[in-house]
Amino acid sequence: MLLKLSFSSMRKRFKDYLVLLFGLTISIAIFYMFETLAQNKTFIEANSMISSIVFVFHVGTFILGAITVFYIFYATSFMLTLRQKEMGMYMTLGAKKHKITQLMFFETFFIGLISLVVGLVIGFGLAKGIAELFMWQLDFNGEGFQSFYLSSIITTVIFYIILFLLTSIVNAWKISRKSVLSLLHAEQKQDFVKTKGSRTFFGVLLAVILIGVGYYAMVNIARFMQLGLILAAVTIIIGTYLVFIAFLPYFVKRLKQNRTLNEKGINSFTLGQLRFRMLNLTKVLGTVAMLVALGLGAMTAGISFYHNIEKQASTFHANDVVIHQPSKEDTEALAEMNVTEKNVYHYKVDGDGVYFLKKDLLVNPPLIKHSDETFELPETTRVEESLPEDNYMLYGENDANRLPELWSTAIRTEMNASYQLFGAKDIYVYGTSEYQNIVSDEQQVILATVDDFKNYLPQLEIINQNQLELAETYRDDDVENAGNTKYSNYIAFKAIASGTIFMGFFLGVAFLMMMASVLMFKLLSSAASDIHRYSMLRKIGVRKSLLVKSIYRELFLLFLFPALVGLVHVIVGMQMFSFIIIEPYLKIWIPISIFIVIYGIYYWITVQMYKRIVLPKEV
Amino acid sequence: MMNQTVVNVKDIHKVFGKRNENQYHALSGVTFDIKAGEFVGIMGPSGAGKTTLLNVISTLDKPTDGTIEIAGTNITSMKQGQLADFRSEQLGFIFQDFNLLENLTIYENIALPLSLQGVPSRKIKPSVVEVAKKLGIETILEKYPVTVSGGQKQRAAAARALVHEPAIILADEPTGALDSKSAKSLMDAMVHLNENHDVSIMMVTHDPLSASYCERILFIHDGSLYKEIHRDGSRSEFHHQILDVLADFAE
Ligand SMILES: Nc1ncnc2c1ncn2[C@@H]1O[C@H](COP(=O)(O)OP(=O)(O)O)[C@@H](O)[C@H]1O
Ligand SMILES: [Mg+2]
Repeated sequence: MLLKLSFSSMRKRFKDYLVLLFGLTISIAIFYMFETLAQNKTFIEANSMISSIVFVFHVGTFILGAITVFYIFYATSFMLTLRQKEMGMYMTLGAKKHKITQLMFFETFFIGLISLVVGLVIGFGLAKGIAELFMWQLDFNGEGFQSFYLSSIITTVIFYIILFLLTSIVNAWKISRKSVLSLLHAEQKQDFVKTKGSRTFFGVLLAVILIGVGYYAMVNIARFMQLGLILAAVTIIIGTYLVFIAFLPYFVKRLKQNRTLNEKGINSFTLGQLRFRMLNLTKVLGTVAMLVALGLGAMTAGISFYHNIEKQASTFHANDVVIHQPSKEDTEALAEMNVTEKNVYHYKVDGDGVYFLKKDLLVNPPLIKHSDETFELPETTRVEESLPEDNYMLYGENDANRLPELWSTAIRTEMNASYQLFGAKDIYVYGTSEYQNIVSDEQQVILATVDDFKNYLPQLEIINQNQLELAETYRDDDVENAGNTKYSNYIAFKAIASGTIFMGFFLGVAFLMMMASVLMFKLLSSAASDIHRYSMLRKIGVRKSLLVKSIYRELFLLFLFPALVGLVHVIVGMQMFSFIIIEPYLKIWIPISIFIVIYGIYYWITVQMYKRIVLPKEV
Repeated sequence: MMNQTVVNVKDIHKVFGKRNENQYHALSGVTFDIKAGEFVGIMGPSGAGKTTLLNVISTLDKPTDGTIEIAGTNITSMKQGQLADFRSEQLGFIFQDFNLLENLTIYENIALPLSLQGVPSRKIKPSVVEVAKKLGIETILEKYPVTVSGGQKQRAAAARALVHEPAIILADEPTGALDSKSAKSLMDAMVHLNENHDVSIMMVTHDPLSASYCERILFIHDGSLYKEIHRDGSRSEFHHQILDVLADFAE
């Protein structure tokens, strides 16, 4: 009988249940999405630049799991607010307490199961859609990625079943502890967070210490390795929630205590709104902050890897282009580039060796990459070493003069005078007279730097292709690699990095979507009770523009706090990549600005939606 | 001051529903005045149009036809923003439900109309305390609505309706959700305000006992004025008079 009643009342509040389902399903979908990567060991190992990637994903699962626990407990407590008044009514009509307790348990669990099924389906769709989008964008084949991944389904199901069992028990327990009267009047209750000065102080202090420890572990990840990652995950999660739990209630209380501020216009109401469901609010904001950190962090890492490909590629090459024996096609390709420096060197090739003309080298000394200390990144310098002898040989075997180090670098690396290009030949630098004695056609090699390397990938591809053909004439072989050039390095690094970038983007989008859904859920779930308040204000004569202003302000604070905390986490967290990315902060403003713009638009949309829901219709 | 008109309602009509749909005439040609300092009751059976009448007078709803003047201002031709300002300056409301904002303390609730008018914070406190004293709720100012009784809530609502010294207080079934003791104390407070502080009040009620506190009662039936009675003698005589009129309705 009660079960029947409860079903019919569920149908009546269909809209509220839809909100709840939305909140739960997105969380499940995102968790599943994350697990499609985390559980797919072959894929992540094959596509990562980080050796302990599987371990990193374990920690990721832990973080996401912890956030999810917070969030699901918060979301299912909305179920309690939906039902308690009616449960109270059943009790006044004579329903036994244990019946009500049972009912609450089954209802919560039932909603959980439905959202689990729907969430998995959505998660599968999202994983597929987003993966395909980025594979296409990044020109990445993503072999081995499976949007429908059985072991992830199993993990997700087990995790959420346990979670829903727990939340059902908690909901049932909460109902069983309440008196009929408090159930009937529950909707108007404030949940107070006690804000004693000393408690706030110690709370904030502890939060700062925890986050500090986490940051220290992240910055020194190279030293602490896996332990550091675990330490950082645990301390930062706890610290982040603690910041909101300890500091936010205190902050709002202080604002309210400032009479001049509080009693100005509609401020008392705006602040009252923030304070009203403080306990829930702190959970939401903590969760949002963590999701911002994860999502923005993953995106930033992805973009940072992307921008570092060129950086990595140019570690050893000062010149962007090297062309041996340029054909007409090569010259045309070069003409399409904005060349900032171009030098031409002559040489001859015979059966035994390759002979560079010394005069050319000394007249236009090339740029090279050079570092004095082993651990420093090489810097661009011009070769200034003198060449007093007549002839030199690259490695100086037998009695021949050994070519000085910097010149050697210039010829081996910048000019790519390598085995891959010329086959088994010795490399020489000859003075003018001996050079002229060599019976062979004179050839030339062009070295050039351009304004923006990445703009000319198609032209560089053509040049690279021609160099391969050239190498074949020297090596009588099918040649796949005509030596190391900046372009060949770029292509190689890109192949390795695109998997990592893909994962960064995939996860970034997933986390940011979950962030959006959490904020959305918070608003939609409180909208019903807010409608009364706004209509009340409208009745006593508050101008609509003022109500709108109040909404903008209230939501601004909701959006601002977690974004700030999340952003700081990301900026510090990027340090973790400094052992693998040359410059982790290179162009970090790009992902951050993208985030701010998207977040800002999302804020605006949320305000518009919220306005529509809570502001009374005009007559 | 005594004979000045605060509310002047002239031949108002209110039709619900669009022209080609099922139309319902909730008010059909109501005309009356309220003088400054009067305490007027509106009575009638359920569905008679009492709330509708109060809503159009309170500018929460627009009449289909007719004019309404409050404190000399014709409100029927005003724009939304002006109406909001008008409400916040000239009117005070007490409703049966959703009176107070539960996320604010009683003090903040009462202070809100003043804050909205931009009254500086140092002037707000004395006004709030003064009006709270008038209604006997000065000890619960720092509490939240959910922690006080229904009667106290309703008196807090009255305090909020009064704090900015409006031209008139409009009350819709203010005693509707109260027990008889709280109802009596609220009515005593309202009479006190009316008699000692010259506050004009218009109150919709279906409770004859609450109505007997008024000086004059307008009965409406099916959207029209049906009868009007004045109090000449004691309150209990007036109470009987009211019951007699209501008995007429039943026939
Ligand atoms: N927004 C509305 N739309 C349609 N009909 C309405 C609306 N508001 C009230 N009514 C109808 O107008 C009549 C008078 O309602 P009301 O003024 O609330 O009566 P009461 O005297 O009980 O307060 C009722 O029959 C009611 O159904
Ligand atoms: Mg009514």
